[in-house]
Amino acid sequence: MIQLNNVTKIYPNGAKALVDINLRISKGEFVFLVGPSGAGKSTLVRLLFREEVPTRGQVTLNGRNLVRMREREVPLLRRTIGVIFQDFKLLPNKTVMENAGFALEVLGVPAKEVQARTRSALDMVGLSHKTRAFPGELSGGEQQRVCVARAIINNPALLVADEPTGNLDPETAWEIMDLLYNINKRGTTVVMATHAKDIVNQMKKRVIAIEKGRIARDEEKGAYGYEL
Amino acid sequence: MRRKGLTGMSFSSAQYILRETLNSLKRNPWLSVASIVTVMVSLVILGFSAFFLANASNMANMFESQVEIAAFVQTNLSQSEVLALEDRIKSMPQVASVELVTKDQALLEFGQSLGGKKGDLLSDLGGTNPLPDKLTVKANDPQEVVGLAAELTKLPGLETVSYGQGVVDKLLPFTRWLRWLGAVVVGAFTVASLVLISINIKMNVFSRRREIQIMKLVGASNWFIRWPFLVEGLILGWVGGILAALIVGLGYRWLADYVQMTLAFLPMVQSSALFWQVLVGLILAGMAIGAVGSAFSLRKFLRV
Ligand SMILES: Nc1ncnc2c1ncn2[C@@H]1O[C@H](COP(=O)(O)OP(=O)(O)OP(=O)(O)O)[C@@H](O)[C@H]1O
Ligand SMILES: [Mg+2]
Repeated sequence: MIQLNNVTKIYPNGAKALVDINLRISKGEFVFLVGPSGAGKSTLVRLLFREEVPTRGQVTLNGRNLVRMREREVPLLRRTIGVIFQDFKLLPNKTVMENAGFALEVLGVPAKEVQARTRSALDMVGLSHKTRAFPGELSGGEQQRVCVARAIINNPALLVADEPTGNLDPETAWEIMDLLYNINKRGTTVVMATHAKDIVNQMKKRVIAIEKGRIARDEEKGAYGYEL
Repeated sequence: MRRKGLTGMSFSSAQYILRETLNSLKRNPWLSVASIVTVMVSLVILGFSAFFLANASNMANMFESQVEIAAFVQTNLSQSEVLALEDRIKSMPQVASVELVTKDQALLEFGQSLGGKKGDLLSDLGGTNPLPDKLTVKANDPQEVVGLAAELTKLPGLETVSYGQGVVDKLLPFTRWLRWLGAVVVGAFTVASLVLISINIKMNVFSRRREIQIMKLVGASNWFIRWPFLVEGLILGWVGGILAALIVGLGYRWLADYVQMTLAFLPMVQSSALFWQVLVGLILAGMAIGAVGSAFSLRKFLRV
Protein backbone atom coordinates (compact mmCIF):
# COMPACT_ATOMS: atom_id res chain seq x y z
CA MET A 1 0.00 0.00 0.00
CA ILE A 2 2.76 2.44 0.97
CA GLN A 3 6.10 2.44 -0.73
CA LEU A 4 9.06 4.79 -0.26
CA ASN A 5 11.97 4.51 -2.68
CA ASN A 6 15.29 6.21 -1.87
CA VAL A 7 13.47 9.04 -0.14
CA THR A 8 15.56 11.94 1.08
CA LYS A 9 14.04 15.02 2.65
CA ILE A 10 16.06 18.16 3.21
CA TYR A 11 14.11 21.16 4.53
CA PRO A 12 14.68 24.56 2.94
CA ASN A 13 16.77 25.58 5.97
CA GLY A 14 19.15 22.72 5.21
CA ALA A 15 17.98 20.30 7.93
CA LYS A 16 18.44 16.73 6.68
CA ALA A 17 15.34 15.07 8.11
CA LEU A 18 15.35 11.82 6.11
CA VAL A 19 18.20 10.14 4.23
CA ASP A 20 17.70 7.49 1.56
CA ILE A 21 14.70 5.73 3.11
CA ASN A 22 13.36 2.55 1.50
CA LEU A 23 10.18 1.24 3.04
CA ARG A 24 7.17 -0.89 2.23
CA ILE A 25 3.98 -1.11 4.26
CA SER A 26 1.21 -3.47 3.20
CA LYS A 27 -2.52 -2.93 3.41
CA GLY A 28 -3.93 -3.67 6.84
CA GLU A 29 -0.61 -3.42 8.68
CA PHE A 30 -0.12 -1.70 12.03
CA VAL A 31 3.27 0.01 12.13
CA PHE A 32 4.99 1.90 14.94
CA LEU A 33 7.61 4.51 14.07
CA VAL A 34 9.98 5.01 16.99
CA GLY A 35 13.20 6.90 17.50
CA PRO A 36 14.69 9.79 19.40
CA SER A 37 13.30 13.27 19.12
CA GLY A 38 14.32 14.93 15.88
CA ALA A 39 14.96 11.59 14.16
CA GLY A 40 12.54 12.32 11.34
CA LYS A 41 9.37 10.46 12.36
CA SER A 42 7.02 13.38 11.81
CA THR A 43 8.71 14.19 8.53
CA LEU A 44 8.14 10.64 7.28
CA VAL A 45 4.52 10.79 8.37
CA ARG A 46 4.02 14.11 6.55
CA LEU A 47 5.19 12.60 3.30
CA LEU A 48 2.30 10.11 3.44
CA PHE A 49 -0.47 12.69 3.10
CA ARG A 50 1.68 15.02 1.04
CA GLU A 51 2.05 17.80 3.54
CA GLU A 52 5.67 17.56 2.41
CA VAL A 53 7.17 16.28 -0.81
CA PRO A 54 10.54 14.50 -0.71
CA THR A 55 13.62 16.30 -1.99
CA ARG A 56 14.65 13.10 -3.78
CA GLY A 57 13.00 9.72 -4.27
CA GLN A 58 9.43 8.56 -4.74
CA VAL A 59 6.47 8.01 -2.43
CA THR A 60 3.72 5.73 -3.69
CA LEU A 61 0.36 5.20 -2.02
CA ASN A 62 -2.07 2.67 -3.48
CA GLY A 63 -0.16 2.86 -6.73
CA ARG A 64 -0.42 6.64 -6.90
CA ASN A 65 2.81 8.60 -7.06
CA LEU A 66 2.52 11.39 -4.51
CA VAL A 67 5.51 13.29 -5.86
CA ARG A 68 4.18 13.65 -9.37
CA MET A 69 0.59 14.06 -8.23
CA ARG A 70 -1.18 17.15 -9.54
CA GLU A 71 -2.22 19.88 -7.11
CA ARG A 72 -5.89 19.24 -7.88
CA GLU A 73 -5.73 15.59 -6.84
CA VAL A 74 -4.23 16.29 -3.41
CA PRO A 75 -7.58 16.97 -1.65
CA LEU A 76 -8.94 13.68 -2.99
CA LEU A 77 -5.89 11.85 -1.65
CA ARG A 78 -6.23 13.45 1.77
CA ARG A 79 -9.87 12.47 2.03
CA THR A 80 -8.85 8.81 2.03
CA ILE A 81 -6.37 9.37 4.86
CA GLY A 82 -7.14 10.14 8.48
CA VAL A 83 -4.45 12.15 10.21
CA ILE A 84 -3.88 12.61 13.94
CA PHE A 85 -1.51 15.56 14.08
CA GLN A 86 1.17 15.97 16.70
CA ASP A 87 -0.06 19.55 17.23
CA PHE A 88 -3.77 18.64 16.72
CA LYS A 89 -4.46 21.30 14.08
CA LEU A 90 -7.95 22.16 15.31
CA LEU A 91 -9.81 25.17 13.96
CA PRO A 92 -9.92 27.59 16.92
CA ASN A 93 -13.20 29.23 15.87
CA LYS A 94 -15.13 26.01 15.50
CA THR A 95 -16.67 23.92 18.22
CA VAL A 96 -15.60 20.37 19.05
CA MET A 97 -18.56 19.14 17.02
CA GLU A 98 -17.67 21.25 13.98
CA ASN A 99 -14.00 20.36 14.17
CA ALA A 100 -14.61 16.64 14.36
CA GLY A 101 -17.21 16.79 11.59
CA PHE A 102 -15.05 18.88 9.32
CA ALA A 103 -13.59 15.91 7.46
CA LEU A 104 -17.14 15.00 6.43
CA GLU A 105 -18.16 18.57 5.72
CA VAL A 106 -15.45 18.97 3.06
CA LEU A 107 -17.00 16.00 1.27
CA GLY A 108 -20.36 17.75 1.04
CA VAL A 109 -22.09 15.21 3.28
CA PRO A 110 -25.58 16.44 4.31
CA ALA A 111 -25.66 18.28 7.64
CA LYS A 112 -27.88 15.67 9.36
CA GLU A 113 -25.55 12.85 8.47
CA VAL A 114 -22.52 14.88 9.56
CA GLN A 115 -24.20 15.44 12.94
CA ALA A 116 -25.03 11.80 13.50
CA ARG A 117 -21.64 10.46 12.49
CA THR A 118 -19.78 13.14 14.42
CA ARG A 119 -21.75 12.33 17.55
CA SER A 120 -20.83 8.68 17.36
CA ALA A 121 -17.18 9.47 16.67
CA LEU A 122 -17.05 11.83 19.67
CA ASP A 123 -18.72 9.12 21.70
CA MET A 124 -15.95 6.72 20.76
CA VAL A 125 -13.23 9.10 22.00
CA GLY A 126 -15.23 9.91 25.14
CA LEU A 127 -16.00 13.55 24.37
CA SER A 128 -19.74 13.46 23.83
CA HIS A 129 -20.25 15.83 26.77
CA LYS A 130 -18.14 18.63 25.25
CA THR A 131 -19.57 18.98 21.76
CA ARG A 132 -20.18 22.72 22.10
CA ALA A 133 -16.81 23.66 23.58
CA PHE A 134 -14.14 25.44 21.57
CA PRO A 135 -10.59 24.00 21.35
CA GLY A 136 -9.26 26.79 23.55
CA GLU A 137 -11.54 25.59 26.34
CA LEU A 138 -10.17 22.02 26.28
CA SER A 139 -7.21 20.33 27.92
CA GLY A 140 -4.40 19.04 25.71
CA GLY A 141 -5.69 15.50 25.97
CA GLU A 142 -9.22 16.53 25.06
CA GLN A 143 -7.98 18.43 22.02
CA GLN A 144 -6.04 15.37 20.99
CA ARG A 145 -9.17 13.26 21.20
CA VAL A 146 -11.07 15.72 18.98
CA CYS A 147 -8.27 15.29 16.50
CA VAL A 148 -8.61 11.50 16.75
CA ALA A 149 -12.36 11.73 16.17
CA ARG A 150 -11.82 13.83 13.06
CA ALA A 151 -9.25 11.37 11.75
CA ILE A 152 -11.41 8.27 12.10
CA ILE A 153 -14.78 9.74 11.18
CA ASN A 154 -14.31 9.07 7.50
CA ASN A 155 -13.36 5.39 7.77
CA PRO A 156 -10.08 6.13 6.05
CA ALA A 157 -8.06 3.52 4.21
CA LEU A 158 -4.95 4.79 5.96
CA LEU A 159 -4.71 6.26 9.43
CA VAL A 160 -1.59 8.27 10.13
CA ALA A 161 -0.98 9.15 13.77
CA ASP A 162 1.81 11.37 15.04
CA GLU A 163 2.05 10.74 18.80
CA PRO A 164 -1.69 10.31 19.30
CA THR A 165 -1.21 9.51 22.98
CA GLY A 166 1.41 12.12 23.72
CA ASN A 167 -0.77 14.21 26.00
CA LEU A 168 -2.92 11.52 27.56
CA ASP A 169 -2.87 9.78 30.92
CA PRO A 170 -2.11 6.06 30.61
CA GLU A 171 -5.75 5.03 30.91
CA THR A 172 -7.02 7.37 28.20
CA ALA A 173 -3.99 6.51 26.10
CA TRP A 174 -5.01 2.86 26.18
CA GLU A 175 -8.57 3.76 25.25
CA ILE A 176 -7.24 5.52 22.16
CA MET A 177 -5.01 2.55 21.39
CA ASP A 178 -8.03 0.24 21.66
CA LEU A 179 -9.74 2.49 19.16
CA LEU A 180 -6.83 2.37 16.74
CA TYR A 181 -6.54 -1.39 17.24
CA ASN A 182 -10.19 -1.88 16.33
CA ILE A 183 -9.97 0.41 13.33
CA ASN A 184 -6.96 -1.57 12.17
CA LYS A 185 -8.91 -4.81 12.68
CA ARG A 186 -11.52 -3.50 10.25
CA GLY A 187 -8.87 -3.19 7.57
CA THR A 188 -7.46 0.31 7.96
CA THR A 189 -3.69 0.55 7.69
CA VAL A 190 -2.26 2.37 10.71
CA VAL A 191 1.09 4.16 10.84
CA MET A 192 1.84 5.63 14.26
CA ALA A 193 4.86 7.64 15.38
CA THR A 194 5.29 7.39 19.13
CA HIS A 195 7.50 7.60 22.17
CA ALA A 196 5.12 5.42 24.27
CA LYS A 197 7.38 2.52 25.21
CA ASP A 198 4.77 0.49 27.10
CA ILE A 199 2.26 0.68 24.31
CA VAL A 200 4.77 -0.41 21.67
CA ASN A 201 6.03 -3.26 23.80
CA GLN A 202 2.57 -4.57 24.64
CA MET A 203 1.00 -4.30 21.18
CA LYS A 204 3.65 -6.49 19.53
CA LYS A 205 3.30 -4.92 16.10
CA ARG A 206 5.83 -4.05 13.44
CA VAL A 207 8.32 -1.49 14.74
CA ILE A 208 10.44 0.71 12.52
CA ALA A 209 13.15 2.63 14.37
CA ILE A 210 14.50 5.82 12.79
CA GLU A 211 17.71 7.47 13.87
CA LYS A 212 19.18 10.60 12.32
CA GLY A 213 16.93 10.24 9.31
CA ARG A 214 17.80 6.62 8.54
CA ILE A 215 16.02 3.36 9.25
CA ALA A 216 17.99 1.74 12.08
CA ARG A 217 15.74 -1.24 12.67
CA ASP A 218 12.62 -2.81 11.18
CA GLU A 219 11.12 -5.76 13.07
CA GLU A 220 7.85 -7.68 12.97
CA LYS A 221 6.33 -7.93 16.48
CA GLY A 222 9.09 -5.63 17.66
CA ALA A 223 9.78 -3.77 20.85
CA TYR A 224 10.40 -0.10 21.59
CA GLY A 225 14.08 -0.79 22.23
CA TYR A 226 15.11 2.55 23.72
CA GLU A 227 15.59 3.33 27.36
CA LEU A 228 13.76 6.46 28.32
CA MET B 1 -18.04 9.61 -2.42
CA ARG B 2 -20.48 11.74 -4.33
CA ARG B 3 -19.43 13.33 -7.59
CA LYS B 4 -19.29 17.05 -7.76
CA GLY B 5 -18.69 19.64 -10.41
CA LEU B 6 -15.66 21.77 -10.99
CA THR B 7 -16.45 24.02 -8.06
CA GLY B 8 -17.30 21.28 -5.60
CA MET B 9 -20.77 22.68 -4.92
CA SER B 10 -23.68 20.74 -3.59
CA PHE B 11 -26.66 21.75 -1.49
CA SER B 12 -25.02 21.07 1.85
CA SER B 13 -21.92 22.88 0.63
CA ALA B 14 -24.07 25.90 -0.20
CA GLN B 15 -25.41 25.81 3.35
CA TYR B 16 -21.89 25.51 4.64
CA ILE B 17 -20.73 28.50 2.59
CA LEU B 18 -23.53 30.71 3.89
CA ARG B 19 -22.93 29.65 7.48
CA GLU B 20 -19.17 30.18 7.11
CA THR B 21 -19.67 33.61 5.55
CA LEU B 22 -21.98 34.77 8.31
CA ASN B 23 -19.66 33.40 10.98
CA SER B 24 -16.72 35.19 9.49
CA LEU B 25 -18.62 38.48 9.27
CA LYS B 26 -19.75 38.11 12.87
CA ARG B 27 -16.32 37.08 14.07
CA ASN B 28 -14.43 40.05 12.60
CA PRO B 29 -16.97 42.87 12.56
CA TRP B 30 -14.26 45.53 12.57
CA LEU B 31 -12.36 43.97 9.72
CA SER B 32 -15.66 43.85 7.84
CA VAL B 33 -16.30 47.53 8.56
CA ALA B 34 -12.76 48.38 7.48
CA SER B 35 -13.24 46.45 4.23
CA ILE B 36 -16.54 48.17 3.52
CA VAL B 37 -15.05 51.60 4.20
CA THR B 38 -12.05 50.84 1.99
CA VAL B 39 -14.24 49.73 -0.88
CA MET B 40 -16.51 52.72 -0.35
CA VAL B 41 -13.71 55.31 -0.29
CA SER B 42 -12.08 53.80 -3.35
CA LEU B 43 -15.32 53.72 -5.29
CA VAL B 44 -16.32 57.24 -4.26
CA ILE B 45 -13.03 58.49 -5.68
CA LEU B 46 -13.52 56.33 -8.75
CA GLY B 47 -17.11 57.53 -9.19
CA PHE B 48 -16.18 61.18 -9.00
CA SER B 49 -13.32 60.71 -11.42
CA ALA B 50 -15.71 58.96 -13.81
CA PHE B 51 -17.98 61.99 -13.69
CA PHE B 52 -14.95 64.22 -14.11
CA LEU B 53 -14.01 62.27 -17.24
CA ALA B 54 -17.56 62.51 -18.56
CA ASN B 55 -17.60 66.26 -18.03
CA ALA B 56 -14.15 66.80 -19.44
CA SER B 57 -14.98 64.93 -22.58
CA ASN B 58 -18.40 66.57 -22.79
CA MET B 59 -16.78 69.98 -22.56
CA ALA B 60 -14.23 69.01 -25.19
CA ASN B 61 -17.03 67.82 -27.47
CA MET B 62 -18.93 71.01 -27.02
CA PHE B 63 -15.98 73.20 -27.87
CA GLU B 64 -15.17 71.05 -30.83
CA SER B 65 -18.71 70.96 -32.17
CA GLN B 66 -18.46 74.69 -32.62
CA VAL B 67 -15.49 74.30 -34.91
CA GLU B 68 -16.59 74.60 -38.54
CA ILE B 69 -15.02 75.42 -41.85
CA ALA B 70 -16.33 78.28 -43.95
CA ALA B 71 -15.61 77.67 -47.64
CA PHE B 72 -16.51 80.60 -49.93
CA VAL B 73 -17.50 79.77 -53.48
CA GLN B 74 -16.10 81.68 -56.45
CA THR B 75 -18.75 84.16 -57.60
CA ASN B 76 -18.55 83.13 -61.28
CA LEU B 77 -20.00 79.67 -60.59
CA SER B 78 -23.57 78.92 -61.68
CA GLN B 79 -26.15 77.67 -59.22
CA SER B 80 -25.97 74.09 -60.51
CA GLU B 81 -22.18 74.17 -60.26
CA VAL B 82 -22.47 75.29 -56.65
CA LEU B 83 -24.84 72.43 -55.89
CA ALA B 84 -22.48 69.94 -57.56
CA LEU B 85 -19.64 71.29 -55.45
CA GLU B 86 -21.74 70.85 -52.32
CA ASP B 87 -22.43 67.20 -53.26
CA ARG B 88 -18.78 66.61 -53.94
CA ILE B 89 -17.79 67.87 -50.49
CA LYS B 90 -20.57 65.89 -48.87
CA SER B 91 -19.17 62.71 -50.38
CA MET B 92 -15.74 63.22 -48.78
CA PRO B 93 -15.21 60.63 -46.02
CA GLN B 94 -14.04 63.07 -43.33
CA VAL B 95 -17.08 65.32 -43.75
CA ALA B 96 -19.97 65.14 -41.32
CA SER B 97 -22.24 67.80 -42.78
CA VAL B 98 -22.32 70.56 -45.37
CA GLU B 99 -24.66 73.48 -45.25
CA LEU B 100 -25.10 75.90 -48.11
CA VAL B 101 -25.65 79.55 -47.28
CA THR B 102 -26.52 81.28 -50.56
CA LYS B 103 -25.41 84.80 -51.23
CA ASP B 104 -29.04 85.94 -51.01
CA GLN B 105 -29.41 84.50 -47.54
CA ALA B 106 -26.06 86.00 -46.60
CA LEU B 107 -27.10 89.40 -47.81
CA LEU B 108 -30.40 89.16 -45.98
CA GLU B 109 -28.66 88.32 -42.74
CA PHE B 110 -26.09 91.03 -43.32
CA GLY B 111 -28.80 93.58 -44.01
CA GLN B 112 -30.73 92.55 -40.92
CA SER B 113 -27.60 92.95 -38.85
CA LEU B 114 -27.34 96.51 -40.16
CA GLY B 115 -30.98 97.06 -39.32
CA GLY B 116 -32.16 97.86 -42.85
CA LYS B 117 -34.36 96.12 -45.44
CA LYS B 118 -33.05 93.80 -48.13
CA GLY B 119 -34.19 95.86 -51.05
CA ASP B 120 -32.52 98.99 -49.72
CA LEU B 121 -29.19 97.34 -49.23
CA LEU B 122 -29.26 95.70 -52.66
CA SER B 123 -30.08 98.94 -54.39
CA ASP B 124 -27.48 100.79 -52.33
CA LEU B 125 -24.95 98.29 -53.66
CA GLY B 126 -25.93 99.13 -57.22
CA GLY B 127 -28.17 96.12 -57.83
CA THR B 128 -25.48 93.41 -57.61
CA ASN B 129 -24.83 91.20 -54.60
CA PRO B 130 -21.07 91.19 -53.91
CA LEU B 131 -21.25 88.40 -51.33
CA PRO B 132 -20.17 84.88 -52.31
CA ASP B 133 -22.10 81.68 -51.64
CA LYS B 134 -20.79 80.00 -48.52
CA LEU B 135 -20.51 76.29 -47.65
CA THR B 136 -20.35 75.56 -43.92
CA VAL B 137 -18.52 72.24 -43.46
CA LYS B 138 -18.26 70.20 -40.28
CA ALA B 139 -15.71 67.41 -39.92
CA ASN B 140 -16.47 63.97 -38.50
CA ASP B 141 -13.54 64.33 -36.16
CA PRO B 142 -12.92 67.95 -35.24
CA GLN B 143 -9.27 67.05 -34.65
CA GLU B 144 -9.02 66.62 -38.46
CA VAL B 145 -10.30 70.10 -39.29
CA VAL B 146 -6.91 71.44 -40.33
CA GLY B 147 -6.29 68.60 -42.79
CA LEU B 148 -9.80 68.84 -44.19
CA ALA B 149 -9.48 72.58 -44.72
CA ALA B 150 -6.26 72.02 -46.64
CA GLU B 151 -7.99 69.53 -48.92
CA LEU B 152 -10.91 71.85 -49.52
CA THR B 153 -8.52 74.58 -50.58
CA LYS B 154 -7.41 72.34 -53.45
CA LEU B 155 -10.94 71.97 -54.81
CA PRO B 156 -11.62 74.03 -57.95
CA GLY B 157 -14.38 76.54 -57.49
CA LEU B 158 -13.62 77.50 -53.92
CA GLU B 159 -12.26 80.94 -53.25
CA THR B 160 -11.17 81.00 -49.64
CA VAL B 161 -11.37 78.42 -46.91
CA SER B 162 -11.25 79.50 -43.30
CA TYR B 163 -11.82 77.77 -39.98
CA GLY B 164 -10.84 80.42 -37.46
CA GLN B 165 -7.23 79.28 -37.62
CA GLY B 166 -5.96 81.11 -34.56
CA VAL B 167 -8.61 79.80 -32.16
CA VAL B 168 -8.80 76.24 -33.48
CA ASP B 169 -5.05 75.73 -33.43
CA LYS B 170 -5.13 76.44 -29.70
CA LEU B 171 -8.45 74.76 -28.94
CA LEU B 172 -7.72 71.36 -30.42
CA PRO B 173 -4.63 70.60 -28.33
CA PHE B 174 -6.54 71.82 -25.29
CA THR B 175 -9.51 69.50 -25.80
CA ARG B 176 -7.18 66.60 -26.51
CA TRP B 177 -5.38 67.35 -23.27
CA LEU B 178 -8.67 67.62 -21.38
CA ARG B 179 -9.69 64.11 -22.46
CA TRP B 180 -6.28 62.75 -21.57
CA LEU B 181 -6.43 64.29 -18.14
CA GLY B 182 -9.84 62.70 -17.53
CA ALA B 183 -8.58 59.27 -18.59
CA VAL B 184 -5.41 59.57 -16.49
CA VAL B 185 -7.39 60.58 -13.42
CA VAL B 186 -9.71 57.59 -13.79
CA GLY B 187 -6.77 55.25 -14.47
CA ALA B 188 -4.73 56.46 -11.50
CA PHE B 189 -7.60 56.18 -9.07
CA THR B 190 -8.56 52.75 -10.36
CA VAL B 191 -5.07 51.51 -9.58
CA ALA B 192 -5.06 53.24 -6.20
CA SER B 193 -8.42 51.69 -5.27
CA LEU B 194 -7.30 48.21 -6.28
CA VAL B 195 -4.14 48.50 -4.19
CA LEU B 196 -6.08 49.78 -1.19
CA ILE B 197 -8.68 47.05 -1.41
CA SER B 198 -6.21 44.24 -2.02
CA ILE B 199 -4.18 45.23 1.05
CA ASN B 200 -7.34 45.00 3.08
CA ILE B 201 -8.35 41.61 1.71
CA LYS B 202 -4.82 40.26 2.15
CA MET B 203 -5.00 41.21 5.83
CA ASN B 204 -8.22 39.27 6.18
CA VAL B 205 -6.84 36.21 4.43
CA PHE B 206 -3.53 36.42 6.28
CA SER B 207 -5.28 36.48 9.65
CA ARG B 208 -6.88 33.19 8.69
CA ARG B 209 -3.95 31.46 7.03
CA ARG B 210 -3.64 28.79 9.71
CA GLU B 211 -7.29 27.97 9.32
CA ILE B 212 -6.83 27.66 5.57
CA GLN B 213 -3.82 25.40 6.06
CA ILE B 214 -5.74 23.08 8.37
CA MET B 215 -8.68 22.91 5.99
CA LYS B 216 -6.37 21.87 3.19
CA LEU B 217 -4.68 19.21 5.31
CA VAL B 218 -8.03 17.67 6.15
CA GLY B 219 -8.83 17.39 2.45
CA ALA B 220 -10.76 20.53 1.56
CA SER B 221 -10.58 21.45 -2.10
CA ASN B 222 -9.45 24.92 -3.08
CA TRP B 223 -12.97 25.85 -4.10
CA PHE B 224 -14.41 24.69 -0.80
CA ILE B 225 -12.12 27.16 0.94
CA ARG B 226 -12.51 29.86 -1.65
CA TRP B 227 -16.31 30.06 -1.77
CA PRO B 228 -16.91 31.57 1.68
CA PHE B 229 -14.19 34.15 1.06
CA LEU B 230 -15.70 34.90 -2.31
CA VAL B 231 -19.21 35.34 -0.96
CA GLU B 232 -17.90 37.43 1.92
CA GLY B 233 -15.98 39.65 -0.50
CA LEU B 234 -19.06 39.91 -2.67
CA ILE B 235 -21.24 41.03 0.23
CA LEU B 236 -18.72 43.52 1.63
CA GLY B 237 -18.07 44.89 -1.86
CA TRP B 238 -21.79 45.19 -2.47
CA VAL B 239 -22.39 47.17 0.72
CA GLY B 240 -19.36 49.37 0.01
CA GLY B 241 -20.57 49.87 -3.56
CA ILE B 242 -24.06 50.92 -2.46
CA LEU B 243 -22.68 53.43 0.05
CA ALA B 244 -20.31 54.80 -2.59
CA ALA B 245 -23.15 55.08 -5.11
CA LEU B 246 -25.21 57.03 -2.59
CA ILE B 247 -22.39 59.41 -1.79
CA VAL B 248 -21.38 59.92 -5.41
CA GLY B 249 -24.98 60.24 -6.59
CA LEU B 250 -26.01 62.84 -4.03
CA GLY B 251 -22.65 64.56 -4.22
CA TYR B 252 -22.75 64.94 -7.98
CA ARG B 253 -26.33 66.22 -7.97
CA TRP B 254 -25.36 68.84 -5.42
CA LEU B 255 -22.18 69.77 -7.27
CA ALA B 256 -23.99 70.05 -10.60
CA ASP B 257 -26.60 72.38 -9.09
CA TYR B 258 -23.92 74.45 -7.42
CA VAL B 259 -21.87 74.83 -10.60
CA GLN B 260 -24.98 75.68 -12.58
CA MET B 261 -25.80 78.48 -10.18
CA THR B 262 -22.35 79.98 -9.78
CA LEU B 263 -20.58 79.19 -13.04
CA ALA B 264 -23.46 79.04 -15.49
CA PHE B 265 -21.14 79.05 -18.51
CA LEU B 266 -19.61 75.71 -17.43
CA PRO B 267 -21.77 72.99 -18.90
CA MET B 268 -22.28 70.01 -16.54
CA VAL B 269 -23.37 66.64 -17.85
CA GLN B 270 -26.92 66.11 -16.62
CA SER B 271 -27.74 62.95 -18.57
CA SER B 272 -29.67 60.71 -16.22
CA ALA B 273 -28.71 57.61 -18.24
CA LEU B 274 -25.05 58.31 -17.56
CA PHE B 275 -25.85 59.09 -13.95
CA TRP B 276 -27.44 55.70 -13.33
CA GLN B 277 -24.85 53.88 -15.39
CA VAL B 278 -22.09 55.22 -13.17
CA LEU B 279 -23.94 54.39 -9.96
CA VAL B 280 -24.84 50.84 -11.01
CA GLY B 281 -21.30 50.49 -12.32
CA LEU B 282 -19.95 51.40 -8.89
CA ILE B 283 -22.03 48.74 -7.14
CA LEU B 284 -21.04 46.07 -9.65
CA ALA B 285 -17.41 47.15 -9.42
CA GLY B 286 -17.58 46.84 -5.63
CA MET B 287 -18.92 43.30 -5.84
CA ALA B 288 -16.42 42.26 -8.50
CA ILE B 289 -13.49 43.78 -6.62
CA GLY B 290 -14.56 42.11 -3.38
CA ALA B 291 -15.02 38.67 -4.88
CA VAL B 292 -12.10 38.62 -7.29
CA GLY B 293 -9.81 40.31 -4.79
CA SER B 294 -10.56 37.66 -2.17
CA ALA B 295 -10.04 34.77 -4.55
CA PHE B 296 -6.84 36.33 -5.79
CA SER B 297 -5.38 36.96 -2.34
CA LEU B 298 -6.08 33.37 -1.35
CA ARG B 299 -3.88 31.84 -4.03
CA LYS B 300 -0.66 31.91 -2.06
CA PHE B 301 -2.22 30.32 1.01
CA LEU B 302 -3.91 27.49 -0.84
CA ARG B 303 -0.60 25.85 -1.72
CA VAL B 304 -0.46 23.51 1.25
N1 LIG C 1 9.24 22.49 8.86
C1 LIG C 1 10.53 22.25 9.14
N2 LIG C 1 11.47 23.09 8.66
C2 LIG C 1 12.77 22.86 8.91
N3 LIG C 1 13.25 21.83 9.60
C3 LIG C 1 12.36 20.95 10.09
C4 LIG C 1 10.96 21.12 9.88
N4 LIG C 1 10.33 20.10 10.48
C5 LIG C 1 11.29 19.34 11.03
N5 LIG C 1 12.52 19.83 10.81
C6 LIG C 1 13.79 19.26 11.22
O1 LIG C 1 13.86 17.94 10.70
C7 LIG C 1 14.37 17.04 11.66
C8 LIG C 1 13.35 15.93 11.91
O2 LIG C 1 12.21 16.48 12.53
P1 LIG C 1 10.90 15.64 12.84
O3 LIG C 1 9.87 16.60 13.29
O4 LIG C 1 10.61 14.79 11.69
O5 LIG C 1 11.41 14.76 14.07
P2 LIG C 1 10.57 13.76 14.98
O6 LIG C 1 11.25 12.43 14.85
O7 LIG C 1 9.13 13.82 14.66
O8 LIG C 1 10.81 14.36 16.43
P3 LIG C 1 9.82 14.34 17.71
O9 LIG C 1 9.89 12.97 18.27
O10 LIG C 1 10.41 15.35 18.62
O11 LIG C 1 8.47 14.71 17.21
C9 LIG C 1 14.69 17.85 12.89
O12 LIG C 1 16.07 18.12 12.88
C10 LIG C 1 13.87 19.12 12.72
O13 LIG C 1 14.57 20.21 13.27
MG1 LIG D 1 7.41 14.47 15.63
